[in-house]
Amino acid sequence: MGRLLVYVRRYWRQYSLGGLCLLGTATLVMWIPWWIREAVRIIEHGGSMGDVTYYAMLIVAAALAQGVVRTYSRALIFNAGRNIEYDLRNDLFAHLQKLPPAFYHMQRTGDLMSRVINDISAVRVMLGPGVLNFVNAPVYYVYAVALMLSMDVRMTLAALAPFPLLMYVARKFRGRILKSSLEVQQQMSVLSSHVQENLSGMHVVKAYAQEDFQTQQFIAFNKDYEVKSMEMAKMRGIVNPIMQGINGLTVLIVIWYGGVRVLRGDLLVADIVAFIAYLNVLAWPTAAFGWMLSLVERGRAAMRRLEEILESKPEIVGAAARETRPTLKEGIEFRDVFFAYARQKNGQSALQGVDFTLPVGRSVGLVGRVGSGKSTIAQLVPRLFDASSGAILMDGQDIRELPLGDLRKMIGYVPQEPFLFSTSLKGNLAFGRDQCSSAELARAVKIAKLDRDLEVFPQGLDTVVGERGVTLSGGQKQRATLARALITDPPVLILDDCLSSVDAQTEAEILHELRAFLKEKTCLIVSHRISAVKEADEILVLDDGKIVERGSHDELTRRGGVYAELYQQQRLSEELEQI
Amino acid sequence: MAQAPHAEEILGKAYDFRLIKRLWQFILPYKRLFFLSLLLLPLQQAFGLAQPYLMKVGIDQHIAGKDLWGLQTVMLLFLGALIGETLAAFAHYYLAMLVAQRCLADLRVAVFSHVQKLQMTYFDRNPVGRLVTRMTTDVDVLQEMFSSGVVTLVADFIMVIWIIGIMFYLHVDLALVSLALIPPMAIAINFFRVKARQTYRQIRERIARINAYLGEAISGMAVIQLFAREEKTFREFDALNADHRDAYHLSNMYEAALYSMVEAAGAVSVGLLLWYGGGEVLHGAIGIGTLVAFKEYLHRFFVPLRDFSQKYAVMQSAMASAERIFQLLDMPVDIRTPAKASVPKPFRGEVVFDNVWFRYKSDTPVLKGVSFRVEPGERVAVVGATGSGKTTTIKLLNRSYDIEQGSIKVGGVDVRDWDLRALRRHIGVVLQDVFLFSGDVRANLALGDPTIPLERIQEAARVANADAFIRRLPEGYSAHVRERGSNFSGGQRQLLALARVLVYQPEILVMDEATSSIDSETEALIQDALEKVMRNRTCVLIAHRLSTIRNADRIIVLHRGEVREIGSHTELMEKGGIYHRLYQLQYEREELQSVAQDTALKANA
Repeated sequence: MGRLLVYVRRYWRQYSLGGLCLLGTATLVMWIPWWIREAVRIIEHGGSMGDVTYYAMLIVAAALAQGVVRTYSRALIFNAGRNIEYDLRNDLFAHLQKLPPAFYHMQRTGDLMSRVINDISAVRVMLGPGVLNFVNAPVYYVYAVALMLSMDVRMTLAALAPFPLLMYVARKFRGRILKSSLEVQQQMSVLSSHVQENLSGMHVVKAYAQEDFQTQQFIAFNKDYEVKSMEMAKMRGIVNPIMQGINGLTVLIVIWYGGVRVLRGDLLVADIVAFIAYLNVLAWPTAAFGWMLSLVERGRAAMRRLEEILESKPEIVGAAARETRPTLKEGIEFRDVFFAYARQKNGQSALQGVDFTLPVGRSVGLVGRVGSGKSTIAQLVPRLFDASSGAILMDGQDIRELPLGDLRKMIGYVPQEPFLFSTSLKGNLAFGRDQCSSAELARAVKIAKLDRDLEVFPQGLDTVVGERGVTLSGGQKQRATLARALITDPPVLILDDCLSSVDAQTEAEILHELRAFLKEKTCLIVSHRISAVKEADEILVLDDGKIVERGSHDELTRRGGVYAELYQQQRLSEELEQI
Repeated sequence: MAQAPHAEEILGKAYDFRLIKRLWQFILPYKRLFFLSLLLLPLQQAFGLAQPYLMKVGIDQHIAGKDLWGLQTVMLLFLGALIGETLAAFAHYYLAMLVAQRCLADLRVAVFSHVQKLQMTYFDRNPVGRLVTRMTTDVDVLQEMFSSGVVTLVADFIMVIWIIGIMFYLHVDLALVSLALIPPMAIAINFFRVKARQTYRQIRERIARINAYLGEAISGMAVIQLFAREEKTFREFDALNADHRDAYHLSNMYEAALYSMVEAAGAVSVGLLLWYGGGEVLHGAIGIGTLVAFKEYLHRFFVPLRDFSQKYAVMQSAMASAERIFQLLDMPVDIRTPAKASVPKPFRGEVVFDNVWFRYKSDTPVLKGVSFRVEPGERVAVVGATGSGKTTTIKLLNRSYDIEQGSIKVGGVDVRDWDLRALRRHIGVVLQDVFLFSGDVRANLALGDPTIPLERIQEAARVANADAFIRRLPEGYSAHVRERGSNFSGGQRQLLALARVLVYQPEILVMDEATSSIDSETEALIQDALEKVMRNRTCVLIAHRLSTIRNADRIIVLHRGEVREIGSHTELMEKGGIYHRLYQLQYEREELQSVAQDTALKANA
């Protein structure tokens, strides 16, 4: 919660101004019953009409002033809540940007999203309406009770007699409602995970004609949910009328007891009227008391969850980026690199002692079976993950000591899983650049063989690609991500099997175009197709996280090992595609 | 990045007759409860509104008339009204929620069972999360409509009318003075309401943009980081975030003004009441009690006005949710059992594909005129490279999708003429990734049919070599299966899937063989079970194991959506065509390995 105070302090002016307005509102609100009392007293004693008019005018004036001051009190405090929401959301976003892929592997986007959305909103409600009521309630109580006491002590005590009962009911039911609402929430998650499971297994549900059985199960869970919700509704249904009833009871006591005393002659009807007016003023803070406590409770819990995210350490950090454009002078070196993913608990490593050098201006190809570790190598260079042991050096310097931004600006990494943003194709291609000329765009488009696709797209480069690029085919997406990396014109290019969904013919054409471009670059090419790495200066064959063969294409085919076998298979499937 | 809000977060009208009418269909079964709850409302209000009147009588007649016993009587009546109001309020709320919960539960079931009937293409297109939201969040929004939306709006309206009526009944002039502020108030409230609604719409759009942006940034975080674009995306996010905040600052001002104005108007009205009413009392035209009653009525009059905008917003989101739910309910069911469905009996397990054309989306066809015939009891292996259309073929067989051209006949009857349920019961499917449902082992084997005796299930499991490991589980056949069967190994799941087939004894077995490696012991169990399951059954297998193709009667070679070769292993190998190459590519290595293993074993022996 300490973090929250920092935010609150940032807007202390708004809060204190809002608080002053609240006090002002309360003062104006509290004097109205007093003046009503004065007016009624005059009426009761048959005083002059002028005096009545005087108090009536005072009330109207106070009412109008109250309207203005109250507007500001609410706007100031609610806006402070919104300001903090804005800050918190920005801070959270900035922090999320620092967290490494490992963090996102452990979280489902949906969960993270709903946490961020719901929790921030709960914190905001606590800091806006929560604070307002938290300040308001005691001020109103102190004011009203003091004024009532100054009128008549015994009446005040009688009027407030039902309040302990009110507190008791509120406390007793608050706990039960909280528990009940937790149960409802739990049952809801049972229900939605049933739906989730049903929908993700729909092909099986259909294949086994399970629709009716699934529906029966759903009906059972649904019934439970209905019963639990009803349980909560019953409690709510009891508690709200009871609170209101108790409020009515205080009024009844005032009239009854007050009436008896008026008859006895030691109280005025004006006093009764004023007491009722004060009790009316207190009705809202009383009713809102339980609600306010739950706001604070929810807000605190939400803040704790947000702090969990805010306090999760970005494992991969680097110094701030320099403004100058980074260049590679000597090359990249892997020195006895070991790596294990967090989920590999059996102690097996994805990489076991990988050693190689990629001199500047040269290219290294990586091949191997699925799971041999070739992609892992590619991901370690831009520090998507950090090596468990060993080191990766760039121009002789450990990449962990380089500014992260510089490192990444130096590398154009094209992943196998293409991710596109839902904006226009142009917006996606130019993502890595602040500005880029149409000539640069055209060049990248041509190399990635997107030019033919562009002719078909209705709006060319301005075509919106949709969420995650749904409107594009797998091959188009991969080629777009390739073009996106090419446009940044980085000194180092890493292709992580990035043309896997592109057919062999197009891949060959792309590789042909790329060759000229790659000549000036330092490249690491990962592929499951031999054709992509054939021309590399050195080819590394990986198996079980180790380099098992290395050499040029000709050397390796002559050797007749794993690589030669892979090559043979590749030729067969190429032949197959030709048929 | 994404700045277009999701269509589902934009608000529409607060009241849509068409939607209300459809919702009414769900209330209809509970209409008696519903009307009862509605009837309780005026009762509750009558009890509530009687209280100020009793105050008036108490003060004007009994206190002024020095009548203690009369005062006591009136106060007892007051107490009665208080209790009556509390009870009626509880009963009304309870009944309203009962109706709400029941009809929303019905609505959820309606959506769920409708979704079960939709075509697979629908699920290919729509993310699971969105469908889950329809059945959960959207329905819950409707619940709020019941508890604090439409009914309370109507109730508030009735209440306001009641109060005006009573005021005029008590004293016409005083009523006119007290309510003098209403016309200007109505104009002002309307002004702020329109303003507030505009900003509210703007806010919804902006928060939707923030959320869309955030969602996309989270899923594409790696790209942002790799291109070192954190600063740029932060600036964009900040702009969206600030827009949202600013819209709220404006809206908070409107809301605060609206709220304060209603409160102020209430207080000004009290001033006017005292001024004019005070004069009337001094003239002796009315008693002080009337003044008190009027003040109380005014107090009750302004509360609904104050809460109006909030309830209006609830209605707006409820209508938007209802719209989305009904849209889903209106999705046509394309694949359904025809009116005159036939179930051939006795049934022979033959399968005929005749010139079948099929495509998933409107791009290139996946199957281009596929024809083949599988005789009853025959064992056929379908082979082909990735993307040749193997998996599609078996999905079409049980009518997961409808074909574009040609026909598929099972047991001599076109699959489109079959009773859908019966068709699928006659075709046992074992897929690569065996999907188990959460529940217990027994329910998974019996596919939820409780009428199947345990003995039959155990017998099936025994034949499928699954009985032994099931018995070793702490709860045996009642052991819990976690979501997607994650507490069972891949091999165990395969065995359970084979046992499933044996429980139902379908005439046709369709299998997509698992490619993942399984330990050799389990592998042997699976092979043995598979052999038993395949016996006396028509089998269509997508083979990944050499033994499976070797044991097939015939092999169908699919290539780019066409049947290119059909024949036995030896025939096709001699032909030296596609199959020969596929064999070299996919199976030869396995054969070499097993030969090497055999040699090694022999050498050891």
